[in-house]
Amino acid sequence: MATKDIKPEDPRIDPKTGEFRVLAPGFTFKTVTAKIADIVLTPTTSLGWFALFSVGGAVATLVIVAVTWLFLKGTGIWAVSQPVGWGFAIINFVWWIGIGHAGTLISAILLLFKQQWRNSINRFAEAMTIFAVVCAGLFPLIHVGRPWLAYWLFPLPNTMNVWPQFRSPLLWDVFAVSTYATISIVFWYVGLIPDFGTMRDRAKTKFAAYIYGLLSLGWRGSVRHWVRYETASLLLAGLATPLVLSVHTVISFDFAVAVIPGWHTTIFPPYFVAGAVYSGFAMVLTLAIPLRKFYKLEGLVTDRHMDNMGKVMLTTGLIVAYGYGMEVFMAWYSASHWEFFMMWNRMFGPMGWSYWMLIACNIAIPLTTLWVRKWRTNMTFMFVMSLIVNTGMWFERFVIVVTSLYRDFLPSSWGTYRATKWDYMTYFGTMGLFTALFLLFVRFLPMIPMNEIKMMLPSAKITAKAKPAVGAGD
Amino acid sequence: MSSEGGNGMMRKNEEQKALTLDQVRTKLEGVKGKRYWRSIDELAGTPEFEAAVAKEFPDAAAEWVDPVSRRGFLKLMSASLALAGLAGCTKQPDEPIYPYVKQPEDLVLGKANYFATAHPFATGGVPLLVKSDAYRPIKVDGNPDHAYNLGSSDVFTQATLLDLYDPDRSQHATVRGTTTEYVEFLEAYRERLNAGKANGGEGLYFLSTSFTSPTLQRQWAEAQKAYPKAKLVQYDPALAGTAFAAGLNPQFSLDKADVILALDADFLSGAGYPGFHKLTREYAARRKNPAKGMNRLYSVESTPSTTGLKAEHRLGLRASEIPAFAAALATAVGVPGVSAPNYSWSAEQTKFLSALTKDLKANAGKSVVIPGIYQDPSVAALALAINKALGNIDATVSLAGEASTSGDQIAGLKGLVADLNAGKVDWLVMLNSNPVYDAPADLDFKTALGKAKVSVHLGSHIDETGAEAIWHVPAAHYLESWSDVRAYDGTVSVIQPMIEPLYGGHTAHDLIQAMLDEPQTSAYEAVRSTWKSTISKGSGADFELGWRKALHAGWIEDTKYAASSAATAATAIKVPTPSSKDAFELIFRPDPNIYDGRYSNVGWLQELPKPVTNLAWDNAALVSGATLTKLGVDEGDILEITVGGRKVKTPVLVAPGHPDNSATLHLGYGREAAGRVGSGAGFNAYLVRTSDAPFYTTGTAVKVEGKWGIAVTKSHFQDLRSKVEGGDGSGTHSLEANEAETRGVIRSATLEEFKANPGFANEGEEHPKVERDNTLFANWEYKDNAWGMSIDLNSCTGCNACIVGCYAENNIAVVGKQQVRIGRNMQWLRIDTYFEGDLAAPKAHFQPMACQHCENAPCEQVCPVGATVHTPEGINTMVYNRCVGTRYCANNCPYKVRRFNFLLFSDFETESLKLMRNPDVSVRSRGVMEKCSYCVQRISEAKIEADKENRAIRDGEVVTACQQACPASAITFGNINDKTSKVATLLADERTYSVLADLNTRPRTQYTAAVLNPNPELAEAPVEHAPAKG
Repeated sequence: MATKDIKPEDPRIDPKTGEFRVLAPGFTFKTVTAKIADIVLTPTTSLGWFALFSVGGAVATLVIVAVTWLFLKGTGIWAVSQPVGWGFAIINFVWWIGIGHAGTLISAILLLFKQQWRNSINRFAEAMTIFAVVCAGLFPLIHVGRPWLAYWLFPLPNTMNVWPQFRSPLLWDVFAVSTYATISIVFWYVGLIPDFGTMRDRAKTKFAAYIYGLLSLGWRGSVRHWVRYETASLLLAGLATPLVLSVHTVISFDFAVAVIPGWHTTIFPPYFVAGAVYSGFAMVLTLAIPLRKFYKLEGLVTDRHMDNMGKVMLTTGLIVAYGYGMEVFMAWYSASHWEFFMMWNRMFGPMGWSYWMLIACNIAIPLTTLWVRKWRTNMTFMFVMSLIVNTGMWFERFVIVVTSLYRDFLPSSWGTYRATKWDYMTYFGTMGLFTALFLLFVRFLPMIPMNEIKMMLPSAKITAKAKPAVGAGD
Repeated sequence: MSSEGGNGMMRKNEEQKALTLDQVRTKLEGVKGKRYWRSIDELAGTPEFEAAVAKEFPDAAAEWVDPVSRRGFLKLMSASLALAGLAGCTKQPDEPIYPYVKQPEDLVLGKANYFATAHPFATGGVPLLVKSDAYRPIKVDGNPDHAYNLGSSDVFTQATLLDLYDPDRSQHATVRGTTTEYVEFLEAYRERLNAGKANGGEGLYFLSTSFTSPTLQRQWAEAQKAYPKAKLVQYDPALAGTAFAAGLNPQFSLDKADVILALDADFLSGAGYPGFHKLTREYAARRKNPAKGMNRLYSVESTPSTTGLKAEHRLGLRASEIPAFAAALATAVGVPGVSAPNYSWSAEQTKFLSALTKDLKANAGKSVVIPGIYQDPSVAALALAINKALGNIDATVSLAGEASTSGDQIAGLKGLVADLNAGKVDWLVMLNSNPVYDAPADLDFKTALGKAKVSVHLGSHIDETGAEAIWHVPAAHYLESWSDVRAYDGTVSVIQPMIEPLYGGHTAHDLIQAMLDEPQTSAYEAVRSTWKSTISKGSGADFELGWRKALHAGWIEDTKYAASSAATAATAIKVPTPSSKDAFELIFRPDPNIYDGRYSNVGWLQELPKPVTNLAWDNAALVSGATLTKLGVDEGDILEITVGGRKVKTPVLVAPGHPDNSATLHLGYGREAAGRVGSGAGFNAYLVRTSDAPFYTTGTAVKVEGKWGIAVTKSHFQDLRSKVEGGDGSGTHSLEANEAETRGVIRSATLEEFKANPGFANEGEEHPKVERDNTLFANWEYKDNAWGMSIDLNSCTGCNACIVGCYAENNIAVVGKQQVRIGRNMQWLRIDTYFEGDLAAPKAHFQPMACQHCENAPCEQVCPVGATVHTPEGINTMVYNRCVGTRYCANNCPYKVRRFNFLLFSDFETESLKLMRNPDVSVRSRGVMEKCSYCVQRISEAKIEADKENRAIRDGEVVTACQQACPASAITFGNINDKTSKVATLLADERTYSVLADLNTRPRTQYTAAVLNPNPELAEAPVEHAPAKG
């Protein structure tokens, strides 16, 4: 399916399929293991890592300061007020959760669909999911007025026999997000077990060997292990797959169930899921492009990955665009004054800029350019695009949360929203936290699943004569 | 000017300021249908305004610490308070004490007592019934049995509760700033008095606010006999110079009036107008059933007030034109001997005058002309003459025969200052007055005060005057001391103390009594002896019985003013000529919230959005849109106002309907020593108010650099849609107003329309009333009670009494200016004001809006912890203890009536405020949602009573705090399950509609649409009324 802009004789193209190669030619079991494990097992840490980690850590302290102050003073340090009762916290929550979705989609759905190209990006995408969920999960807990009582949202048996209110979408959120976090962590960890075995065997210090040994849960690479491992992976993938769809659907219910024009919309579930995947893939790109550059992983994370992720973004972007289009259409077609006014106000009201920001970042820029394969494989372009889409998706949530609330039913109660420094500190702080966590992951865990890559090598193909190509150490 | 042209002009240059009011009006004329608008922001619609809006948005919400806000002070103050006084209550004495095993007879813990007393306000006493819990007054309300107010109250009266518990009240006598004992002062005072006996009290001066107490008047009269040369000057900054203070106190009976003319008389917005409670009640009573006919209100006024905005016809005139207009009217109705100044009235004004004259004449004997009190005394005299000419005397107006007079207050004060400057004043005793702050600027009272040999200040606070005086004596609050006062109709109420003086305060009675032969006689004895003969006469010579009866009922029988029809023959009334039309006029008015400054430190009143402007925490120079343009300023800019060389800097704000080329300055702000709440708020208009022009004057205003940062509780946005839809942004379309109409939030009709179509209020409703109970889900079942509320929009005058009543009843927190600016005010009840029509001559619709207690409540469904639930009686209730503060309910509330404690808004530290709180209502802490509860504590109380007697709750037994305060009886509450109840009848009325009915929230609070009764002669260009909802 070579297009005009890439010549068939281009070395990146696999002549058999006409697609970009998933793996650069020339990798063997040994080189794959060495390439990936050595990033972790090297005793020297690059200065660049330290520099980035310091920046991430420093920014992460913002969230500590901001949350401390928040707990001391109350949500009033944020810009939330009447009538805009939700602000950055909920926007960021939805944004981070959305980002997480790409990881699960890659690890679960693409596994079930046997998309082998997923193997190279699966591990760090899943790590991204977990860290994004960590950042996301922070917000619902701290955004409540009395965070020390946030545990009341869980259905804990108590002497008062008081249960949560099961009709509330916020409660559904609690279940959705906690399930999601659990499954993601378990799935990620299970996937890591064979690689922990490899790391244990290759570790150069006793301490590292001890830690990886603990983590590998006694992995020996026996056939029985592999069988169980594969079964567990499949089962977990099966469990995680519906979550890709359900988590953001439930989150969209927070809005869709409410009566506020701009929230009360049946299109939200699919539109939220598509938006989540859209932003998630953008975040995978934001992470993958520098990683593959700094750790010279171009052979493992190839143009094929970039190209495919670009295509996924294009598809989900189109779904999102359809969602926006339907919102506008329904505002007119429903003949509902509330809907019409809400849409008009979103576009041309005092906060109209945020709507056009969203249209520019999510539709105008990406959906006109991602069609071109040459650009999809241009790393600078894709990196910039991933940042644009993530900005756009943040604005989408801003538009949904804020511009629906600040001018609702009674004109007497219209208000405004202007974020405070504490809002920004919390938001940027979670980005720092995410960066710091991700850098720790890159430094201490194999960021690409060695076992899965090795299975894709030609030598892993089981033929009658060949020995089973399984082995942990080498 | 085509909209295209206007558009071009707007965009091209900065000359949009040249867009005149007339042009805007031209635009408005082309628009069909009702045009409601909420703030002048929308109507102004100029690009520079837009820019200002962008710049001026309430800044970062984060600034929770506002150095001048009360909150910042709290931490500091709590420590000093703990040392200072009240905290002593929390520590038991060292000696052994014993609790009482037998309760006092009248005290059942947890059960409140009610005592009749009265609030001695400057314009007349307000009879009260005070709720007292364990001997602490916790709620002040009108006396329901008193014929004058029938239980209603007003913002000032409601707020005196917080005034009593104000932690900044002075707690000790001081001499030259150092703490001393009252007896020290008393010794010095007596010494001086004894010395003065010989020379008849020469050099002994008293300065007081108007004596409202007959006993105090008697005491002074006696003191004057003992000290014939001692002098008393009464000075009330708001009332000095008025005909009212000079003793003219006509009694109006609006229940008999078909046509009412208010001549700059704001008798509907607050107790600043004498007789407010009665007048508002009678005005509203004639509008409750339009089918049976209703009154018609005309208003000719300078400063826009709720009276003018409620009026069928309002003519905005500059303040100085009003006497001339009154004279012209007097001539027209045939008052002999009035020489109306020659003045060129515009065609519109002439038309108004002739239609008004015709209507008044046609309703002779059934009309009434009410003069404004903050006007030249000629207006009052002319109004009296017009009433006389119309034969209204003894029909709708009667003259009080024995109204007390405090004389010419301004002349008195001038004389005092002259004597001070001449060194004649040996002792000056200032009783409850603050002349250093509020005396006319030209008198320079502060310098003069320094010339008194000894100055004494009896006051509740160490205020501006207290700080200057040599002696300061803490004054007892009226809830702490005995006194008496006359209501508007003359009925005397005895003021009973509800609590021992918190800080050992003393009263004017004590200081004047000290001059008499029995200086130790207490105020209690003094009041008793004043009324001994009157009471004995009424109760068959048994004084004690009569006294107890008077205390119990709240008034002394047979003390009403005798009506005297012997109106003094109208001597030649001198009518001042209006100032030149080019002159920039300044109108001085007492503030609708804090009056003359006496309530500066009352947080409830500071935070209360003022009627018309919705401004809180500040005063401002109120101007018309055209004047704003002419001055080249935007709202929130700072003006420097100069009057005869005296200058003051003021923020500027548009008041819809304000006459052009003039500005209103509300008095009472700019206090320097008001206390933690009031100090530093607003600007001091007294700085430019002189003794020769107490009501209005001329001056200049120029823009100076800077922005004031005012807190206005209505929208800060302006209309952008008009631009999008091809308009020019001139304010032709007012977005909020159009939306209010389109959404059917406000529904109204004229009397003609109502007669033709009585069901107008529910016309075009997408969700008709009869279908509302057909639901997919099972309806709630109500076995016993189902509470509901009806609010009559025709009666509501937007006076705010309900809001302050709600503050007191429900322990609502005050949040401070910065928080109000970003929309975090905590009032459970707000009055939404929607303007209609021409921006220079608007009407307004006032809509009290609190929790609607929806049958199908959006908030209940979304709370994840079930903290807001439906009760078996249909109340949508908040369980504070369960609330974790997700704010989802507030987001999902279509009426936006939920209030969230974003920070720790309630004051848990100040000891005195703890005494004030209603023990039946939780004080909400940080992170908790709150809202109107339909005063559920009162419902519970009634239920318990009913249960004890094994009966159902009677209709009218539960009265909510807002309902209780309302002088217009606009609010009705009761059981809608009982189809005979008043509320059920009202809710079934054709005029009753639900706000946002199409959302299927099925609110329990519903509104009765307003009906106006315009004079066909003055009908505006026919306005096509769209269906109420569609």
